[in-house]
Amino acid sequence: MTAALVELQGVRKVYRLGEVEVPALRGVDLRVAGRDFLALMGPSGSGKSTLLHILGLLDRPTAGKVLWAGEDVTKLDGGRLAELRGRRIGFVFQMFNLVPNLTALENVELPLIFLGLPPRERRRRAEEALMRLGLGDRLRHRPNQLSGGQQQRVALARALVTDPALLIADEPTGNLDSATGREILGIFADLNKQGRTIVLATHDPEAAEVAKVRLRLRDGQIVERT
Amino acid sequence: MVRDLFRLSLRNIRHRGLRSWLTVIGILIGTAAVVALISIGQGLQRAIAVQVERTVGYNTILITSRGLNLGQRIRLDIEAIRAIPGVRNAIAVRVETAYVEGPGGKGFLGVLGYDPAMAEFVAEMNLSLASGRGLQASGEVLLGSRTARALGAGVGDEVAIEGRRFTVVGILQAQRAGGFATGGLSLLDLLVISLPELRELFPGPELVQYAVARLNERADMAAVRAQIQEHLRAVGERNAQITDFEDLTKSIQSMIRGVQAFLAGIAGIALLVGGVGVMNTMYTAVLERVREIGILKAIGAKDSHVLLLFLFESGLMGLAGGVLGLVLGYGVAWVATLIVSRLFQAHGAFSPALSPALVLGALFFSFLVGAVAGLFPAYRAARLPPVDALRYE
Repeated sequence: MTAALVELQGVRKVYRLGEVEVPALRGVDLRVAGRDFLALMGPSGSGKSTLLHILGLLDRPTAGKVLWAGEDVTKLDGGRLAELRGRRIGFVFQMFNLVPNLTALENVELPLIFLGLPPRERRRRAEEALMRLGLGDRLRHRPNQLSGGQQQRVALARALVTDPALLIADEPTGNLDSATGREILGIFADLNKQGRTIVLATHDPEAAEVAKVRLRLRDGQIVERT
Repeated sequence: MVRDLFRLSLRNIRHRGLRSWLTVIGILIGTAAVVALISIGQGLQRAIAVQVERTVGYNTILITSRGLNLGQRIRLDIEAIRAIPGVRNAIAVRVETAYVEGPGGKGFLGVLGYDPAMAEFVAEMNLSLASGRGLQASGEVLLGSRTARALGAGVGDEVAIEGRRFTVVGILQAQRAGGFATGGLSLLDLLVISLPELRELFPGPELVQYAVARLNERADMAAVRAQIQEHLRAVGERNAQITDFEDLTKSIQSMIRGVQAFLAGIAGIALLVGGVGVMNTMYTAVLERVREIGILKAIGAKDSHVLLLFLFESGLMGLAGGVLGLVLGYGVAWVATLIVSRLFQAHGAFSPALSPALVLGALFFSFLVGAVAGLFPAYRAARLPPVDALRYE
């Protein structure tokens, strides 16, 4: 058994909506090891996104532990978490979430700016990442000049440019037609074959098929593992 | 990294086009008002300083009756004042009213006693000639242009002053009387004869309208003033006042500075209002970009990065307003001084001053107003939890 990259121990998350407490996660244990490819499945409101956010250090659990390479990160301050996100994690979202007034190349360079890389190095790595995703001729295009599939590939390039230990994707095919969606899923499968660790959330069974392991969530708990 | 954030801010400002411009205009108006008022004020101060330096110089002492009243005459001995150590030259302006008869007219007119020492003050006294020559021998007289007409006399004619005959050797140029130089007496209406002859015609005690003393470069102003004071006491003159031009200029300038500070204060309020505009713009910018802030945080931006990004934006808008306001304000000041100069016919002596301190101050303050106005919105933006920001629609 390989050492865990990230480990969730008894993670609970409760959202407070005014007076009402809404439990989103009710005690989740999860282990993500290097080269894993997990798909989180389940209906809306089952806790998929919350689980991804906690796994990706965008949110803190109400209770339980999040261990990154064995270290509990739930008590780290915001700056340290930002640094870990920048260095270890790549995010891909359903809505692509590119910065609209920046070109594809600049969008991909962004995470490297926050890591403090020199401009030349940044440019080189960003171009390389885009090229690898077949966007070599779209470097200077802005998001609104790109198709959905192209935007999602730019977002993928941005997530991968830092060479993260973990790639997290939240419904990455949710906004794409099925052909384009399949194309993106193919990229995920390839990435995993090359050794990339991936956790994605989806309710598209086809998307879940490319993963090695499927986890089904219901009411904030993992109910099935296939 | 700071440079990259800076560039990102620039991009964001440009991206928001019209809204950014409207914000910049708020700061622009405030800065322009401050710059215009201060540069006009400083220009005025400089003009006064130049005027004083050119006409009398700072090393000059004026002795008059109390309250600078040139109609009230004072008693002093100009030779004694010349003898005071540190005094380079001194003149007394003595004008007596005499009964004058000319070939074509007669009447009571002012007669000025000319002292060769006045040569140094000629420019200030406007004693230049339109025709003829200056006084060389006794029995000669210069006429103001209006006097010449009133008496029907020209160069070569004879006029009688208190019954004594004088030959007209020159006519004075019809210049406007310069304030201090002739003590409010217009040279147009004067006759000028030599001082010894004036003393002969009016043998009473020597009473003068005013006296001017010019000091050596390194003379001690206070010591000279004290000695003049002593002389005045010695001759029994109690109603005299000693003014040096440094005092005078200083008091005028401090008055101008007071008015200027008041006006600049009002203009400063305009700048502050501009700052509120920036705050509003930055606040909407934050609300509009909550999602973007979430993205930046998800890909590794720290709170400090987001804070800097927004601070640069607001500071840059302030700075842009400052630069444009500086240009506009200086332009306004130019036009204003041009109009004022026309109105008061002060030929070219007065132009707005743009000191380096004013330029730097204006730029610094406009940047500061922008940055401070952006501080709160930027802080709000930076503190947004990434997951909430991402979820924001």
